[in-house]
Formats: sequence, C-alpha cells, structure tokens
Amino acid sequence: MLASPVSLALTALLAPGAVALLLAVATPLRNRKSAIVLSVLAALSSLVAAILLVKGQLTPTPPQLLTVPWLLQGGVPFAEIGLRIDGISASMLLVVTFVASCVQIFSVGYMHDESPPAQGRYFTYHSLFLTAMNILVLAPNLLQLFLGWELVGVTSYLLIGYYYRKPSAAKAAVKAFWVTKFADMGLLIGLLVLRSKTGSFDWDATITPQAANLVTLLLFVAVMGKSAQFPLHIWLPDAMEGPTPVSALLHAATMVAAGVFLIVRGWPLFELAHSTRAFMLGLGSVTALLAATMALFQNDIKKVLAYSTCSQLGYMIAALGAGSLLGGFFHLTTHAFFKALLFLGAGSVIHAVHSNDLRDMGGLARKMPVTTLTFVIGALSLAGLPGLAGFFSKDLILEAVGEHGFSLWLVLLLVSAFLTAFYMGRLLLRVFFAPATEKSSHAHESGGFLLLPLGLLAVPALATGYFGGMFGQLYGTAYHFHLGNIGILAAGLGVLGLLLSYVLYRHRAEHPALLAPLGRLIEHGPMDRLYEGGFHRVALPFAALVGWIDRYLVDGVMNLTGLAFIVSGQKIRRIQTGIATDYVLATVGGVLALLLYGVMR
Amino acid sequence: MTLGLCLILSAALFCIGLYGLLTHRHAIGLLLSLELMANATNINLIAFSRFRGDSMGQVFALFSIALTVTEVVVGLAIVILLHRAYRDARVGRASEFRH
Amino acid sequence: MIEQVGFGLVAGCIVLAALLVARAKNAIHGVLWLGVVLGATAVLYVMLRAPFLAGIQLLLYVGGVMTLMILGVMLTRHDQHEAALERKRPWLAGVLSLFLLGMLVTAIQTSPELHASEAAPATVKDIGRSLLTEHVLAFEALSLLLLATMIGAIVLLRRDRPDRLVEESR
Repeated sequence: MLASPVSLALTALLAPGAVALLLAVATPLRNRKSAIVLSVLAALSSLVAAILLVKGQLTPTPPQLLTVPWLLQGGVPFAEIGLRIDGISASMLLVVTFVASCVQIFSVGYMHDESPPAQGRYFTYHSLFLTAMNILVLAPNLLQLFLGWELVGVTSYLLIGYYYRKPSAAKAAVKAFWVTKFADMGLLIGLLVLRSKTGSFDWDATITPQAANLVTLLLFVAVMGKSAQFPLHIWLPDAMEGPTPVSALLHAATMVAAGVFLIVRGWPLFELAHSTRAFMLGLGSVTALLAATMALFQNDIKKVLAYSTCSQLGYMIAALGAGSLLGGFFHLTTHAFFKALLFLGAGSVIHAVHSNDLRDMGGLARKMPVTTLTFVIGALSLAGLPGLAGFFSKDLILEAVGEHGFSLWLVLLLVSAFLTAFYMGRLLLRVFFAPATEKSSHAHESGGFLLLPLGLLAVPALATGYFGGMFGQLYGTAYHFHLGNIGILAAGLGVLGLLLSYVLYRHRAEHPALLAPLGRLIEHGPMDRLYEGGFHRVALPFAALVGWIDRYLVDGVMNLTGLAFIVSGQKIRRIQTGIATDYVLATVGGVLALLLYGVMR
Repeated sequence: MTLGLCLILSAALFCIGLYGLLTHRHAIGLLLSLELMANATNINLIAFSRFRGDSMGQVFALFSIALTVTEVVVGLAIVILLHRAYRDARVGRASEFRH
Repeated sequence: MIEQVGFGLVAGCIVLAALLVARAKNAIHGVLWLGVVLGATAVLYVMLRAPFLAGIQLLLYVGGVMTLMILGVMLTRHDQHEAALERKRPWLAGVLSLFLLGMLVTAIQTSPELHASEAAPATVKDIGRSLLTEHVLAFEALSLLLLATMIGAIVLLRRDRPDRLVEESR
C-alpha cells in the first residue's frame, strides 16, 4: 500500500478542488490552454487515487472516518464534515473519476473550436463539478451529502447553460435548476426532520420505522428531482442543450445517479422504510416504462439517450425499492459506463455530422468505424444483450423485483427492457446503417482525443458484468450469478426488440402504421399536454393567487421597506458633504461617544 | 508645578486645537489647529520625561517635532495646490471627496 | 513659589494665545499667535529642564514652521477677503471640546500614579546616545521621511507637471 486511504481520498477531493479554485481566481491561467491541462491532470490524479483506494478496499476493512466538527455551538458541534471511506464510497468514487476523466479528455477534442476563455470556463466548471461530486460521494453524513448535492446542482446549471447566448440553453438551465431545487426542498426538510428525530445527520442513527418512512419519503422527493423520476423528469431532456460531453458526465453517468447514490448511502434508513420502498418500486417501474416509450419516438439522438437515462434510473430506483442494494448500485455502475460511452459516441457523431437529428444521419458505419464499434457495444450493453455489462445488472434487478412473485412492476420492467432494445435498435439503424444523407455523406472519423475515451469506456461497458463478485465484496454482500427464468426471458425480450426494430426500421425512417398514432401522440407530447392542462387549470390560478399575495402583500412590505431605505438614504446622503472638517467632527463625536461609553461602564 | 498641572495644560491646549479644527473652514486655519494639538502632545512627552527621569520622552518629542514639520510642509503644499486649483484655499470648496 | 508663578504665567500665555489662534479671523494673525504659543512652549520646556528640546522647538517651529506658514499665507493670499478665516458651528465644536476637556481633566485628577517625584533630568548627551543606539532605526527612517517630504513638496508644487490632477485653468 502506497498511501493511507485517507490521504488518497483527500487527494481525490482536493486535486480538482484546488484546480477549480485556482482557475476561478487566476484569469490568465483560465484563458489559456493551461486550464485544460490542469483540469485533466487533476481528474487523472483523482482517478489514480480512486483506483488505489478501491484496491485497498478489496480486502475487508472497517469503514474509515475522518471528521472535523463543524458549526460549533457552545463547544458542541452542530454537525461534522469530513470523509467516509468504505466500499460504497470508494467504488462510486472510482466510477465518478473514471467517467469524468474520460469525458474531460473527450472534451479536449470536442470543444476544440471554442475560444480559449470559453474552454477555460468549461474546464473550470468541470473541475468544480468533480470536486462537488467527490464531496458528495465521500460524505460522512447526510448534511455534507446535501452540500455536495447542491454544488453539483449549481455546476449542472452552469454547464447546461454553457452556451448562454442561446436562449433555449439558458432556459433549459433555469428549468433544470428550478425543478431540481424544488425537489431539493424535500432533502432539506428531510434532513431537518432526521436531525430532530435522531439528533444527528448520520444515516445509521437509530430511528423508528415510522420516522424512517417520513424522512426517506422526503429524501426521495429530492431523488425524484435529481434522478429525473416521473413526474419530475421533465428537466432532463431539456438539459440536453448543454454540450454533449456534459450530458454524458452529468446527465447520464454521475450527477443524475447521485439520487440513486443517496438511497444507497442512506440504506440504513431506507431499509427500515417499507412504505417508501414500495413507493419507490412502483414509481421506478412506471418511470422506466414511460421514459422508454418516449425514447421510442424522439428524433434527436441526445433526447433518445436522455429518455433512456430516465428509464434506466427508474430501473435502479425500482431495484432499491425491491430491496436490492447491490442491484441498484451495480446497475448504476454499468449504466454510468455504457451511457457515458453512448453519449460520447453521440457527441462524436454530432461533431462529424453537425446535427442532432437522426434524420440527418445514416451510413456512418463505413465512415466512422471506431465510433460505430464502440457505440454498438454501448447500445447492446444497454439493450441487455447477454454477456455484456448491462445484461448482468439488469438481470440482478429483475431477479430482485421478481423475488416476491409475479407482479405488475415486473411486467412493466420487462416491457421496458423490450422497448429499450427496440429503440436502441432503431437508433443504431438510423445513425449507422441507414443510407447516407446529404449531411452525413461529408462526415469523417473523429480525432484521437475523441476516440480514446470511447475506447476506454467500451472496455467496462463490455466487461463490468464479470466483476459482480468484486462489487459484492465492496458491499459486503455475496453475489453469485445464476441465470434464472427471468434472466432468460429478459434476454429473449432484448433480442426480440432488436430483431423487431431491424425488421421495422431496416428500410424506412418513419414509424410503422401500427405505432404511428402512438408516435403522433407522443410527438405532441402527452406529458407536455398533461403539464399544460394541469398548468392552465391548477398551477396558473394557484400561481396567480401566489402572485397576488406576492405582489401586494410580500412585495408591498418589501417595497415599503425599500422605500424607507431610499428616503432615509437620500436624507442621510446630505451628511456626506465631502468637506474634511465635517468628517473630523463625525470622528471626534464617535471617539467621544466611545470614551463616554467606556467611562460609564 | 506638578505633572498633573502640565497634563491639564496639555489637555487644554489639545481641546483648543480641536475646537479650531472643528470650526475653521480655511485650510491654513486647519493647519494652525493641528499644530496646536501636536504641541499639546509634545508638552505631555516632555512632562513625563521630566517627572519620570527618562530621556525617552525627550527623544520622542524630538521625533514628534520633526514629524510635525514634515506634516506642515506637505500640508502647505496641498494648500497651495488647492489655491491654484480653486483660487481659494477654503476647504469647503474642496468637497470633491463627495464624488 | 517662584516656579509656580512662572508656570502659571507661561501656561496662561499658552492657553490665551492658543485661544486666539483658534478664534483668529485673519490668517496672518493666527500664524503670529501660533508663534506665541510655540515660543511659550519653549519656555515651558526650559522650565521642565529640557533646554535642548526648547532649542529645537525654537529652531524648527518658530524658525522653520512659522516662516513656512507665513510664506504659505502670503502665497495663497490675493486679496484681503481670502486671508479671512471663516468659521462655522462654533457652539457644537465648543461643547464637544469642553466635554473632552472635562473628561481629560477628570481622568488626570483621579489617576493615582501621576504624583511622581522629580528625578534627574535627561541631558543632551543622554538624548544623543539614545538616538544613535536604541532609536537608530527610527532616526534613519525619519531622515528618509524628511527627504521624501522634500521631494514630495517639490513634485506637488511643480508647475509643469504633466499629470496634473486638477487643471491649472480652473
């Protein structure tokens, strides 16, 4: 062992943190290529530290804590901040730093045409994001997790709005921020309830099942926002306005998975909360199905992947709801790899075709062999083709859900597994194997900076499934793979979905007659309609009411206060005569008053 | 003649200087008042030196006098500049601090 | 006894002249009354057995500062009106000053340690030795300050300064 786990974790945390701080402060550094070099180096050193950390955790060790008292109140700390190093945080750290490193290297090529200051800004945000994510992952209690949670929210806002001159990007950033902030209220309230019930922010404090239900339900509201669960998923497709590598890192692999990680981390609480978990199972399954349906009819390559992310996050939530900690986290890991791979592949394609639209693509398999190969690996892994990473983790989830007997949720998840394979098949055919279009005919393979991360991510997307035992070890639970009926069924459905999409979309871009009405419905956006309806009937009158209260009561008070300050300011302004002796008078008066006060005491 | 009397004299001189500082509007008047106050502190230093039998007070008074001289030089330079700028050395005119 | 009367006379001179400085209506008068204050203070220094300081006081203050002040007044005076020292809010200033005086006198009166006995006065030799040993750094710093002041005054008052803050024409 080269270094102690604590120093390794500190390295992983502080390397990007220092770089983010340095780049934020030192404009000359930020405006040059040095920003890129520093940021990538920091990410890579985090990655090395994470690898060593995981290596150390493979032998069973008790969790290591390094905490500092924080917010002392009369000598008693209100909370603690610090590090917690155990199998869960180490493996999550590895996932985060690995994907972040890949994405940053990819970004070097992808953002090449941006101006140096814009690139510097971009990489500064990336370093900040990595820091925030590491704060979240290494949190020893829920309070610090909340800190990291909010910080990643901010960086998400900044990165979605990276093209801030584009109105749609700015709007999407604000939407993402508001929806997740709204959900985060749940986390904040949940934290306070937890504190009042147990007297600490620790997730392993003793708590009654009833209180655990309340707390976890509140926490889960925040998870619904961050991990884009129905009905709070609406921000995620819009978040695709950000640069594609950002979508890969934040909105597919790591940040949206933070919600799942929160549940994994807070497992001692969630384990007790049976009602919350039942709700999670239902909601996760419904989200998985709904999002998969929506992904089917999208024509924007990134939106297909975004809905797919929603759907897969639904899987993880459902797994945790069914009580399978390992299933949820395993799928988080494999999904992080193959979905980041898919997004980066999509980025490579977009870079070549200069369009997001599936209808502009086609025939790229010959022109971009490496991108095609890696993308196919990612897609098949997502579709759950036996032997690839996604198959193992999805199987684990389905087994866990099916453990309690045949249920509606299992059916939903199986159907969405089928749909997943179906829409991924359609995506592959449209992008790579359909006849070339005018735009795609000029495409050519991307450069090394773009291809290296694709290659790097393709390896775990292929092979993570065979390391289930290792994950089990990190989690302290046994993992044995066995192919049950459900696994065979899921694999069969996946293959069926791929075959069906091949049959249906081999020769045409349009949806077949049977699916067309559904497609039209979804293209018009049932969710948007629902929201619009709800918006007009419920939300708008409510908003009007709130607006009235705000305008006439709250603002009235505020305006009066403001007015009072303005008027008094105008009066007080006369004191500032600008004449030196007047200032002397004021000084003397002040000194005398102080003297008098001192004498009186 | 005791230490206390010297100190009271010094206090009186200081307060007169303060009064002048607060009332005068003319830059020369302000400088004069400042001189009075500096002189008051020097009396204090010398008096303590005398009644404590310590040469330190006199050394410091020496420094103080030299510092006051520099203050007067710079002050007068500013007065003359003000005068050149405004054709008037009343501080009241120089209210550009305000902006 | 004779010492007491002498102190009373000198102190009276100082206070009276100081009041006339503070209330002076004419700048030249003010400067001249300041000269009286400074001269009387020099006498007081002699009485306090500090003849060296008294000499310095006369040389620097009465000889240097007074001359400078008079020159300054002359340089800035173009008509009778401007030599007049305007005053304002005498009441407020008076009350504040008297209040401070009251507090200071009370403090002096009630302080127990002020009735120290007389001690052997410091000689010029002591002062010189102290200046060039213990306080040599301050001494050198002071000489630098004097040089800087000299240069500063010249720079400030140069007429052909290109970076003039306030335009000559105003």
